[in-house]
Amino acid sequence: MFKGFKLTRKLENTLMLVFTLIFLGYISMSPDMNLESLKGVLIIGITVGIIYGLVAVGISLIYTGLDVVNFSHGEFFMLGAFTGLTVYNFLIDGELIYAIFPDAYGWVGYVIGLFFAFVVMGLFGVLIERVFLRPLTKKGGGYTVAGMGIIICGFGLSVVLLNLAYIIWNPTAHPFHADLGLPINIGGVTLPMTYLWMLVTGFTVAGALYFFLNKTKMGLGVRAVAHSKVISNLVGINVPLYISIIFGIACALAGLAGTLVGPTYQVVVYMGYIILLKAFASAVVGGFGSLPGAIVGGFTVGLFETSCAFFISGSHKDAYAFLLMIVVLLIKPTGFFGVQVKMKA
Amino acid sequence: MLKIKNLVSGYGSVQILNGANMKVENQSIVALLGGNGTGKSTILKACSGIIRTWKGSINFNGEDIQNLPPHNIVEKGLVQVTQGKDVFPAMTVLENLKLGGFTLKSKQTLNDNIEKVFNYFPRLNERKSQLAATLSGGELQMLCIGRGLMSNPKMIMLDEPSAALAPQIVLDIFKNINKIRKDGLTVLVVEQNVRMALLLADYGYVIKDGVINVEGESKKLMYDESVKDSYLGGGGTTANV
Repeated sequence: MFKGFKLTRKLENTLMLVFTLIFLGYISMSPDMNLESLKGVLIIGITVGIIYGLVAVGISLIYTGLDVVNFSHGEFFMLGAFTGLTVYNFLIDGELIYAIFPDAYGWVGYVIGLFFAFVVMGLFGVLIERVFLRPLTKKGGGYTVAGMGIIICGFGLSVVLLNLAYIIWNPTAHPFHADLGLPINIGGVTLPMTYLWMLVTGFTVAGALYFFLNKTKMGLGVRAVAHSKVISNLVGINVPLYISIIFGIACALAGLAGTLVGPTYQVVVYMGYIILLKAFASAVVGGFGSLPGAIVGGFTVGLFETSCAFFISGSHKDAYAFLLMIVVLLIKPTGFFGVQVKMKA
Repeated sequence: MLKIKNLVSGYGSVQILNGANMKVENQSIVALLGGNGTGKSTILKACSGIIRTWKGSINFNGEDIQNLPPHNIVEKGLVQVTQGKDVFPAMTVLENLKLGGFTLKSKQTLNDNIEKVFNYFPRLNERKSQLAATLSGGELQMLCIGRGLMSNPKMIMLDEPSAALAPQIVLDIFKNINKIRKDGLTVLVVEQNVRMALLLADYGYVIKDGVINVEGESKKLMYDESVKDSYLGGGGTTANV
């Protein structure tokens, strides 16, 4: 913060608390403040947050597994949204789905779209990792020269994927009319069904990811590879395979998030750019490289952004995430969960 | 069991090993000795596949294993145990051990092996649900060796099991290494604690500048003048055990 001045853990936490209280006090003085709007902001904030969280988890997974920040992650989000949209439109245009599900064709098509976005993006991620990143990651990541190469390769990949999407889907915005039923009322807040889908699917996937990482053998391997590739090699883990799995899971999560977001806005080729930056902010706020941190950071950014946009000013909506990131970096540079487990000397 | 012929290897473009020859007999303990930077650890890394073999061959149980992927070498039954502190600090002791048995197919074998490791090192059983980061130096070394034993290896290679440990703990660990050998495993120990290693081992190799300089029965090696001069501090009696 200042030169020669180091914050202790306790002081960091106190300052974070003071910042939170000032922020809460400030928004509570807003003329729009009442119980109704607060409930709405909470629900929307959590919904947006889980999406940021899913993308941020992918960024953190790739960071721990490959030692690089993947700057093309937003493009996987965008391609996932297009995959979901294409599959959904294909199913709805075809007559078959009406024949099997005459009443509920909308959400069945949407679920199939989500599934395809997840699987196709996962496989596409594995392909990208094998073909483009593998030759670079072999030489090392992180702060090495090769690591810098991968970061630049990430930017280039982002441009390539963006233009690929241009060629296939052209630059116009595509509306995603997912027919999911009428908005429902939760505790006095009218919520479109797309938001409910985001909430439920987001939490389910986050829970499944937690289960996968902590209870299954493959998850144990993923955590081991994330910590150290050399020791993982020595205990007999097929490290190159697991790096592909890590990249695939991260891209699959981004693709799923894309299809979840699609129906609330529009599907357009630029949509990956801003979500990458927001998810990056979420990962930093939660503690870079920490997976629970990424989810918590997503919630924090989502809630902060939504409440600022509602109570302070909606026209600067995209700036608030980075404001929060700057504040957290100033006060608590490790983020919420960024504490590394130190070895006893 | 393990035959190394004319092994040439190194890091990047730096050549460390200049044609090393070694042989490890079945169910024996072999010590690999040498000063800093002579290539002791490099031999182990080449055997376990972490670095590439440039020239020469490594033969394990009648099969050439040089330049195989590391996980295949573990599956064949050759496991390297790295120096003390290489564990997964953010995982529990039990998870660390489970990772050691990553190549095992059945859950039953995994649990049996965990029991087996707890028999060798009862201290790990007491600490099985603690994070590995909270263990002491000696316990970490036990965990590393235990993790190496988890995959039912035929041979383990230990990289300086005595590094930075109190003499009492070193003695304890060396007793356990002897016990492991008695249970049918072959052991290759890389050591800087020369006297201790030669007491434990049946046969010894001394490496210098990337080639095997002296070799022989460990009892002979202990009184070998050149070894004495280079590594045992000349006087023999003054060297601390």
